[in-house]
Amino acid sequence: MRASAGAQVFTVTAYEIRKYLRGRRLLGMLLLLGVIVALLLGLPPALGLKYATDPNEFVASFANFTSILVVLAGVLFAADALVSEHEKRTGYFLFPNPVRREVLVLGKLAASLLVSAVVVSLYYGAAAVAALVVTGSVTWDIGLSYVYALAYMTSVVGVAFLISSSLRTTTSATVLTFFLFMLIFNIVQAVLPLAKVNPWFIPTAAAGIISHVLSPTTGFRPPNGGGEFITTYVPDVTTSLIVFTLYFIAASLLAILLFRRRELSS
Amino acid sequence: MSGQLERAHADVAPVNLEGLGKDYGTFTALTSLSLGMQDGTSLGFLGPNGAGKSTTIKIMTNLIRPTRGRASLFGIDVQRDPTRALARVGAVIETPEFYGYLSPLETLAYVGRLRGMSKQEVENRSEEVLKVVKMGAWADHRIQEFSKGMKQRLAIAQALLHEPDLLVFDEPTSGLDPRGMAEVRDVIKSLKGEGRTIFMSSHLLGEVQEVCDDIALLDHGKLLVQGSVRELSRRPGVSTYQATFTGPLSDGELDTLRSFAHVEQVRRAAEGAVDLRIDGGEEAQAEVLRTMILSGLRVSGFRPLGSPLEQLYLSRILESDRI
Repeated sequence: MRASAGAQVFTVTAYEIRKYLRGRRLLGMLLLLGVIVALLLGLPPALGLKYATDPNEFVASFANFTSILVVLAGVLFAADALVSEHEKRTGYFLFPNPVRREVLVLGKLAASLLVSAVVVSLYYGAAAVAALVVTGSVTWDIGLSYVYALAYMTSVVGVAFLISSSLRTTTSATVLTFFLFMLIFNIVQAVLPLAKVNPWFIPTAAAGIISHVLSPTTGFRPPNGGGEFITTYVPDVTTSLIVFTLYFIAASLLAILLFRRRELSS
Repeated sequence: MSGQLERAHADVAPVNLEGLGKDYGTFTALTSLSLGMQDGTSLGFLGPNGAGKSTTIKIMTNLIRPTRGRASLFGIDVQRDPTRALARVGAVIETPEFYGYLSPLETLAYVGRLRGMSKQEVENRSEEVLKVVKMGAWADHRIQEFSKGMKQRLAIAQALLHEPDLLVFDEPTSGLDPRGMAEVRDVIKSLKGEGRTIFMSSHLLGEVQEVCDDIALLDHGKLLVQGSVRELSRRPGVSTYQATFTGPLSDGELDTLRSFAHVEQVRRAAEGAVDLRIDGGEEAQAEVLRTMILSGLRVSGFRPLGSPLEQLYLSRILESDRI
């Protein structure tokens, strides 16, 4: 009477998904998603502005917020996945079972990726339907943007797991994940070009491909038409996808290693 | 062939700890513990707070790694092959927390599936074990509503789910009211009756005496004594008795008591009562009583203060603290 590692991963994933379905986080995330979609669709007509007629341009306004949505998904569905077993003492009932720690990490990782993917998919689904209704068509570029968003999501979830495996409290893991992607990476990404270094290896910079595929502008002019044209650096698609993959693999492997070594001694 | 396998299976000790030690920086939680258990026996793991009991149990159940030594369950090293080593083990470590969004039935299904039990097996056994721990009425309620005692019962239920050969309990009655404690003790006794091997840590000496065949006494990370409860209860040592007399004793009579063989210390306890620390076993105690009567002291009662196990526990712990 022993379950295979694959069956155990599946069991852990199924129960983690049940956690998200029964918890308030997924509901909160879906509400937030609804608010963003409502604002993007409701504000332009309310302010007397016209929708973009090109489907790519129309969805680009959605894609600009994808990174934030992906980071929030990582924060809500990944950052506390591992640390909570220690902090909330659920490990005391889970770990003495004949299940390897890496199986637990993989099961939880799969659940976090699936739930985050559902959120991103719903967002892009809403954007695509709106684009179809408003502009009368959708493009392959919208699909590409969606795929890039999923790729970025894997790197965010991987890094969130790494943080979750190394910190002591759910609060610190959640806060660090949020600030890493919303602040720290962005600061590094902004400072590196000053030293003539392209930040291609920073995931938030690589995430530029999500909206760049829809609206390939390379920069913007400050409001009121004054000042110089400010260029924004977006790595090429291949580089970005490699960066996402490497972040995901390296962070996930490190998370497994740290979670395996971590003792439940509190 | 199958007979040979069964014999080989029976020969493997359910628990075998060899030179087990654990350091946290400069603090040594466990020095070098060597301990074995025979199949079908029950061992009470005793010791004061910080003695190293929980550390030992956590190493045995793969929650922490030993700094030195080896813990094997059924001949399988827990650190090298935890999934095989823990396959025949059910454990309750401290008072675990459960996922609040699940019900007891769902929690048991989770554990059962991780252990490779079929859906039907899980359903049948869940019903049984929840009945055993008197949680049948709460089977479908969310655990987030549960008290500590209810969680403790559920912890015991999940440990029993797969009918393990070895049960490891760390303070199994912790958090329970007196009735719950008695019920859990009955459960453990019935498991013992079924021939399961039980490794149980507890602060409650009476509980250990009631449930276990053997005890191991630990302090400051070292094993002080191990043996059967019956044997250790009879082992000669210093124990305290209270003698009561028909009236208060004079100072002279107290001096007479002090002069008796085997009497180490005499202390007035109450009017007409004296506590005597007697060095020796049952023979020494009988001799002291006989000498008191022959000396003309009007003895109306003579009883041990605390159980023999408690006396052994206290004397060994005091001795260990002095060292």
